[in-house]
Amino acid sequence: MERPLRRLFLFFTLLFVALLVMLTYVQVWAAPSLKTNPSNTRAIEEEMKIDRGTIFSADGVALAVNTKSGPYFLRRYPEGDITSPWLGYNSLQYGRAGVERAYNEDLTGQTGLLGVTNYLDTILNRAHRGADLKLTINMAVQRAAASALGDRKGAVVALDPRTGAVLAMVSFPRYDPNQIDTVWKALNADPDRPLVNRASQGLYPPGSVFKIIVAGAALQNRAVTPQTSFDDTGTYLAGGYIVHNYGGNTYGKHTFTQAFAKSINTTFAKVGVQLGASTLASFASDFGFGKSPPWTLGGSASFFPSPGSMDKAHVAQAAFGQGQVLSTPMEIALAAAAVANGGTIMKPYIVGQVLDANQKVLENAKPQMWLQPLTADTAAAVRDLMVQVVKNGTGTSAAISGVQVAGKTGTAEVATGQPHAWFAGFAPADNPRVVVAVLVENAGTGGTVAAPIARQVIAAALGQ
Amino acid sequence: MSNGNPASTRNRELLFLIPAVLLTTVGFALVYTQKSSALTWYSLLYGVIFLALFAIAHLGRRFLVPYADPYLLPVTALLSTLGILVIYRINERLALEQALWLVVGLVVFLLVLVFVRDLKMLRDYRFLIGIAGILLLVFTAVFGREINGAKLWVRLGPVGFQPAEFAKILLMIFFAAYLEDVREVLTVSTRRILGVPVPPLRYLAPLLGIWVLSMALMIFMKDLGTSLLFFGALLALIYVATGRFFYVAVGLVLFIAGSALLYKIFPHVHLRVDVWLNPWKDPANKGYQIVQSLFALAAGGLFGRGLGQGYLVLQNGHTIIPALETDFIFSAIGEELGLVGAVAIILLYLIFIFRGFRAALRARDDFSRLLATGLTTIFGLQAFLIMGGVMKLIPLTGITLPFVSYGGSSIVANFALLALLLRTSDSVARQEASAEARGEEGRARATLMPVEGVGA
Repeated sequence: MERPLRRLFLFFTLLFVALLVMLTYVQVWAAPSLKTNPSNTRAIEEEMKIDRGTIFSADGVALAVNTKSGPYFLRRYPEGDITSPWLGYNSLQYGRAGVERAYNEDLTGQTGLLGVTNYLDTILNRAHRGADLKLTINMAVQRAAASALGDRKGAVVALDPRTGAVLAMVSFPRYDPNQIDTVWKALNADPDRPLVNRASQGLYPPGSVFKIIVAGAALQNRAVTPQTSFDDTGTYLAGGYIVHNYGGNTYGKHTFTQAFAKSINTTFAKVGVQLGASTLASFASDFGFGKSPPWTLGGSASFFPSPGSMDKAHVAQAAFGQGQVLSTPMEIALAAAAVANGGTIMKPYIVGQVLDANQKVLENAKPQMWLQPLTADTAAAVRDLMVQVVKNGTGTSAAISGVQVAGKTGTAEVATGQPHAWFAGFAPADNPRVVVAVLVENAGTGGTVAAPIARQVIAAALGQ
Repeated sequence: MSNGNPASTRNRELLFLIPAVLLTTVGFALVYTQKSSALTWYSLLYGVIFLALFAIAHLGRRFLVPYADPYLLPVTALLSTLGILVIYRINERLALEQALWLVVGLVVFLLVLVFVRDLKMLRDYRFLIGIAGILLLVFTAVFGREINGAKLWVRLGPVGFQPAEFAKILLMIFFAAYLEDVREVLTVSTRRILGVPVPPLRYLAPLLGIWVLSMALMIFMKDLGTSLLFFGALLALIYVATGRFFYVAVGLVLFIAGSALLYKIFPHVHLRVDVWLNPWKDPANKGYQIVQSLFALAAGGLFGRGLGQGYLVLQNGHTIIPALETDFIFSAIGEELGLVGAVAIILLYLIFIFRGFRAALRARDDFSRLLATGLTTIFGLQAFLIMGGVMKLIPLTGITLPFVSYGGSSIVANFALLALLLRTSDSVARQEASAEARGEEGRARATLMPVEGVGA
């Protein structure tokens, strides 16, 4: 019996050596890849021990704060759902979105000098404090925009055309970031897609707000002047496609200024065909079409078809923003910003300052130029056209007493349901401080639905 | 003779118990400061309780089995100390329960030592013990409650217990006694089929019968771990009793055929194997437990994250790995104490197994030898199965890590097992000591094992 016993013990020794080998493999050899495995939430758990930086709005409202629970800091969003389209969330289970994601390194203190103190905190086993963020968002404007849009599907963007600072960005439907862990699956399954920020990610036919770009192209190319006269018979035949005006209206003799103010499709189709597909495409690109929004939160690139693929009918439709043209509300706001800012589009940004725990400024946002689609003269000419829209055109509902508002309405027809209502504008016209773009899905005409929303947002932004 | 002088042996054991007491005291203080960032006398209480418990165990051993192996009790103390420490870190209430079970376990330990003065007594009652073991299993199969897919639990008033934990010891006693009876017949068989010696079936029948019955019950209760344990232990016992690898080969063929059949028939076996082969196919559901276990081990790395520093308990109070305090306690140790701590655990088990087999090797009669072999095998195999399971070396079977995992039945049963092993090693050394005193050691050795080497 001794030999079998010795062999049995040898067998056990082999089994336990196998354990030692496998354990070393898992804990040492395979550990790096296991630690970065996408199913592994431990990295986020580590970050939950960090006192994540507070996020404030420009007017000092706390938007993201922490409550301490054991060794962990739990994220709380006091403003609830209204901030979710850009603030995003910080979830143990589902990762991050929005500012929480884009500025994670600042918020967790991995950048600059905070990175060094972070290392020290780790050694001393202290909770590490991340950097605070002061956003460009003005909660007064944000709240005004959200309440003006109400619970209609759509988006509102407000920014400062001089700097690109985003003042407000509203998207509906949206979600409460405080509830993200419990509702995430339902949000993903929701056909209304509340996780999508419609302002920067939603692509819609722009309809007549696209005429801002077409007018800019026509004036800059000297194809027309504001006084050029046109004659409308109610229809215009372009390559076998008959262009109608919205509502079947006929306008007779008019100037280009009136064509813009009344949003006459036949005239813009004529001008578009005269300019040609490649000129339209090149101006669309100069205004930002085909490019993702140049900011940290990303978004969809607006779409203008390639000129080679367009026949005359396509060109005519594109000239009043129908057909294949698709745009985000943010792109429309940036196009209007070009007009408001003397032809130059500034890069949008949402974080104004990065601060340490003692509110010492670590980093200041520097406004940067993005595109320059128009000359200052052309921009001024388009601005005058837009003033007329609000004075005595389709956008009178955007008018504010004592302030000259400039704007353009859009009523984008869609395959099913009511048209999308658009408005893009800025104020004060002679020295613009705020640009606003409004989109309401399947809601009616831009003049009746979108323009009043824009008025409230502009009023809030100008402190009226 | 290393075990020759009982006094030095006993003092050596006392010396080896010191690390366990130190570990408890320092460990609990560490976890306590981790939890409440202040050290109070309360945190040192566990160390004091442990000191008292194992001092009593040591005294009991000193008087009841003075010649017993001096390493088994300290190894047990270290394992149960580490266990309760990690359980305390996971859930304070469970640690308190575990401490109470340790007390019960030590009482059972002393009772076994008091009442089982001579192992022959167990041999005499072998059929009664075998029937008791089977009855415990039948009882569980009939009245058991299914928890986590396995029917293991029986409620006795307010206390739930797992009869299989005790059944396995009772059946080991029976196997050892019965194999002692038929050992010679199995070894010196004359009939040959295809050149292979085949023993008379009637000697094998009761053994096979009881084995088939217990296996059937295990499969019926879906307790794969215990089922595997029985199989392995029986195989090891037959091999040691007969010295014939032929039986092991037959057993392995049976095992492979049986596994293939189980894999095909039972979805829970199928699932276990599939999850083992590729847990990454469904890391959020079916593979969750094993994937999280691997994450925990990886997070521990070489030196661990430190006691109380691991990511074991979620904010809602649940453990990140389900069954962390029972089946997956080794993963918790791997995370907080690292490879270094986990290897220490593995080596402690290896020491226990070595001392168990040493007691078997030195035993003077076949029954003691087979009993020590059987008990050591189920102990070692159980440790291997669950540690190998949580590190994905082998498919996961839900069994406890002896002395470390949370669980009253497991603790109490393993203390009974320890008592029997100590009794075996004590009777060996006692006989040797008296033989030595009479200067008869040579003769005593020479008369040992008349059938030695027949099959080997």
